[in-house]
Amino acid sequence: MVAIGAFAICVFLIIAFIYWPTSRYVTASVDRLIIDRANTFSSLPPQQRHQALQQHLDGDPRRVKLGGLFDAHGNRVIGNIESLPRNLQPDTPPQPLSVVRIDAAGREQQLARVVARKLDDGAILLIGRNTDELSEIGSTIERAVAWGLIPALCLGSLFGAFLSIRTQQRLDQYNRQIQRIVAGELRERLPEQGGAPFTELARLINAMLDETEELLRSVAGVGDDIAHDLRTPLTNVRMTLESGRHKAKTLDELKEAVDRAIGGLDQSLTMVTALLRITEIEHSRRLEGFREVDLAELVRDVGELYEPMAKDKGVMLVVEAKEKMVVQGDRDLLFEAIANLVDNAVKFTPECGHIELKLCCIGEKSIVHVSDTGRGIAPSERDLVTRRFYRSDKSRGEPGLGLGLSLVVAIAKLHGVQFGLSPAPTGRGCVAEIVFERVPPQVS
Amino acid sequence: MPKVLLIEDHDETAQQIAAELAGRGYEVDRAATGIEGLDKARAGGSDVMIVDRLLPGIDGLTIIEVARQEQVRTPVLVLSALGAVDDRIRGLRAGGDDYLTKPFAILELIARIEALLRRPGESRDTVLRVGPLEVDLLERTAARGGRPLDLLPREFRLLEYMMRRVDQLLTRAMLFEEVWNYKFVPQSNLVDVHMGRLRRKVDPAGQPPMILNIRGEGFMLRAPS
Repeated sequence: MVAIGAFAICVFLIIAFIYWPTSRYVTASVDRLIIDRANTFSSLPPQQRHQALQQHLDGDPRRVKLGGLFDAHGNRVIGNIESLPRNLQPDTPPQPLSVVRIDAAGREQQLARVVARKLDDGAILLIGRNTDELSEIGSTIERAVAWGLIPALCLGSLFGAFLSIRTQQRLDQYNRQIQRIVAGELRERLPEQGGAPFTELARLINAMLDETEELLRSVAGVGDDIAHDLRTPLTNVRMTLESGRHKAKTLDELKEAVDRAIGGLDQSLTMVTALLRITEIEHSRRLEGFREVDLAELVRDVGELYEPMAKDKGVMLVVEAKEKMVVQGDRDLLFEAIANLVDNAVKFTPECGHIELKLCCIGEKSIVHVSDTGRGIAPSERDLVTRRFYRSDKSRGEPGLGLGLSLVVAIAKLHGVQFGLSPAPTGRGCVAEIVFERVPPQVS
Repeated sequence: MPKVLLIEDHDETAQQIAAELAGRGYEVDRAATGIEGLDKARAGGSDVMIVDRLLPGIDGLTIIEVARQEQVRTPVLVLSALGAVDDRIRGLRAGGDDYLTKPFAILELIARIEALLRRPGESRDTVLRVGPLEVDLLERTAARGGRPLDLLPREFRLLEYMMRRVDQLLTRAMLFEEVWNYKFVPQSNLVDVHMGRLRRKVDPAGQPPMILNIRGEGFMLRAPS
């Protein structure tokens, strides 16, 4: 009912806004016309004035023109107005007045817009125009309102009811679907149909559900992976200790067993620490701790750190970072991310291989580029390698935790920069890139 | 005999730490609650304090803050299971001098205690000497038994750091943080590779080794006997 009432008020206001300026425009046109006539007639000599006034009143088949000339005593000399109106003010702007029209058709009271001019001999000239046309417009609009509002209200009510029922049905459907999702049916999705706002809302909620489902799946996967990856070193620790306890004949043999057990425990702890670290970075909101960091210096430091390791393995590591490039970030974390990429490159590049660690500048972007001539990443694994615990080496024979690239992704996300892996253009090896938007150095 | 005030509520952990310290000639005074720990910290007399963060009564950070406000200048090693960056920053800002996260290797704790005890007396000499090894910090030269060593800049810093901490165990994390100046624990044996290069230069074949690898723990510089 409230909606119908509001709709009626709106229709009424629209019509009122049409009527009001129209009425003002017509009144102003009438006023201009009668002022013009009154000025013309009052400037004429008396004889010509009588003649012109008579001609003006005679040429009026619609009977809308009014005019009259009254002597200084108020007696009518000529014209179709019976007498001077009582509250007439000469030489003022046109005013609405009630006058009595007399002509061949008889005597008639009329509403008119009238202007009066006092002449030199004391006579008063009256020029007016019937405003029945204005009243006619008003009446027509009133009739239009009366006849237009009723069907508009009926149609509006019907349409509103239709929309309301349809919206309610859609919401009921959404409620049922959402209740099923809340009950655990995470694969349920809302129907993406039924008009723009509903389709858009359903699409957003479905995207959110996709993300939630993916997160839950990855959390469950991580849980399984942690259990699996921790079980192996912990089993080894247990077996080592058990074996040492039963078989060690000397203190040195027992110490050796204990040392091996400590090594296994350290491996487990490293894994847990790395996981906690990724979580810490992913949930970190410590952006206020960001400082200006010279990427070139970081790249050179990482290069210097890994150069002996690469050399020992017989791999050539080429480092290029000459131009100073400043970005906003956490120095230690960025170092760790770049170091992880180089660590992987050294690990997976065979003897006589080649690694490039470069800082390049393309437009407003600074790119840390690490390429190698190792075995590369199979296309089917490219999206998987950044997942926690994912390792190409299924037998777990190679050293590593499968957490390095997850850490790089977390650090890149924290810094709002892009990280990408792609095959090397030569076809052998892999290219890893971290892409930064550059910050102009501050002038001190 | 250095005196250590150990404020730790967990009996087993406290006993293990106390036994290890006592075995190395330290005199250990233990407090099992926050209130007792604060009283002992105020009383002074310790050369170094080990403070656990989560304690009954008063928490470890409050103990350190109150002690620092009362001008207690004893070096403090904060011990905690809370290892996130924010936690470490909070621990150091409260007045701690070092921060070690649980679980830890007991030798790492000892090494950090030694480093804290050493800190105030660090030598300002420009020439460091350990046995036949000599490093001139102004000339940036190093020599063993008069024979010059050709060191890269990072190797020079590594050797300088070790010469200032003779006979102390230096863990990989400590070396990395202090020499490379990054808070980063490498997965690979990076520090070992760098140390291996330095050892080849400092300890040539036929001469008694000065850089010792403490298996599973870290490294130590020691003058040949």
